[in-house]
Amino acid sequence: MYSIEIQNLSKNFPQLKTYSDIVLHPFTKQETMALRNINLKIKQGELFGLLGTNGAGKTTLLKILCTLVLPSSGCALVQGLDVKQQAKHVKRLIGYVISDERSFYWRLTGKQNLLFFASLNNILADKVDYLLDSVGLTQFDANKLFKDYSTGMRKKLAIARGLLTDPEILIMDEPANGLDPLAAMRLQSLIREFLVEQQHKTVIMATHDLHQVEAICDRIAILDKGEVKASGKVGDLNLMEILSNG
Amino acid sequence: MAKVFAFIWRDFITESSYKLSFLLQIFNLFTSLLLFFFLSKLLEGLDIISLKPYGGDYFSFVVIGGAFFAFFEVALQTLSKSIRDGQMLGTLEALLVTQTEIPLILIASSIYSFIWATIKSVIYLLLGVLLFDLDLSNANFIGVAVMLLLTITAFSGFGILAASFVMVLKKGDPINFILSNLSKLLGGFYYPISVLPDWLQVISYLLPVTYVLEGMRLAFLQGYTISQLLPNIMVLSIFSLIMLPISIWIFSKAVQRAKQDGTLTQY
Repeated sequence: MYSIEIQNLSKNFPQLKTYSDIVLHPFTKQETMALRNINLKIKQGELFGLLGTNGAGKTTLLKILCTLVLPSSGCALVQGLDVKQQAKHVKRLIGYVISDERSFYWRLTGKQNLLFFASLNNILADKVDYLLDSVGLTQFDANKLFKDYSTGMRKKLAIARGLLTDPEILIMDEPANGLDPLAAMRLQSLIREFLVEQQHKTVIMATHDLHQVEAICDRIAILDKGEVKASGKVGDLNLMEILSNG
Repeated sequence: MAKVFAFIWRDFITESSYKLSFLLQIFNLFTSLLLFFFLSKLLEGLDIISLKPYGGDYFSFVVIGGAFFAFFEVALQTLSKSIRDGQMLGTLEALLVTQTEIPLILIASSIYSFIWATIKSVIYLLLGVLLFDLDLSNANFIGVAVMLLLTITAFSGFGILAASFVMVLKKGDPINFILSNLSKLLGGFYYPISVLPDWLQVISYLLPVTYVLEGMRLAFLQGYTISQLLPNIMVLSIFSLIMLPISIWIFSKAVQRAKQDGTLTQY
């Protein structure tokens, strides 16, 4: 069984109507296509990269897997469970690493943030210290207010939050976005060595950084304007050619 | 229960970190009391028939109204504000991927505000007693406690409904706008509803705030017992029993709609 199977998945978003559209075409539905007929299979323990430019549909695809956006057609299965019909069970299997620093409470310390999300996931507080340590945040860092965290520390805390439930699958949206090259390299080795090789997690990572996928991913899919242009092992694809033709 | 405490703890740490805001809120209570005190001086010595059921003193009447109208505002605004904040701050998605059900997230997000509103009401009434001779010697505190509980449950239904609009429309929630204005005008906060024309009194009796303020005044100022407060208790129980399940159902539909449109964190 695959960790994730995506079959003929499409997603259209309704377009915001202008005042003139509301008056002239009140019953016409205008939509924007975000994903078209996506088919992907991701194996257990694989580090899978979703590569694409801004607006390619990477985040939409990840949000569908996390049950935050509903697909328009087709289906996505997480460990055989449908994200639309069995959302509650799917949430137990995935950890979503939201790279957006706004997804934390800025007036709380890093540790307090993690304790809060641990409570909402029925996780005991003891695990929080272990996770902070695992991602390389010291006790001193943990007790600093989140607003005083560097970008790198915020990314690490986001990973720790994603690992709270010890999920089998970790979904990461631009995890190294905004990091300096050195911090990005450290984060990459944390993902590859700690999450995949030590913890045996299946990791799906969306990024627009070609070097990042080449450095750590097992397989990748290239998304362009909501469609999969190519997928396969990093070494088998001529990434530069595919991207320049995209 | 641990999840509910986690929300209270989160909100306490966040709110208490804004120290000046805390002090200003207490100062605001004092200035509001002062305003009502001077306003009541204007009516001193007059025999106002419409105030008779509440003891005849305008200051006591309006202070109790002020203390408990705040709960209505908390219920109506806190729930939709917690959704709006979640959308704007980006925390909503992080909450929705946890193992916590949406109704619990919504209700637990408002509990701290209700606790704080209760503390502020106590401070407000204490300041009234200590500095402005507010007479609460007849108060029946058991009646007050029952009314307070029903106040929160009855108002929360409307708050959840308002939050559903925010979930879909983001801004411009009509529930908050209509109920807030109607309740202030017709709910009996500043004046007894008996001064209103008959046709407006009919509308007043459709608003939960009317029963809350009347019940609170009767319990605080006239010492009404639970059995004497039964009509108000019954009406507020009916409001709670009807509004809470309906509003939670509507809110779940609003979340589904936002997931369908991909607008959970848009604002």
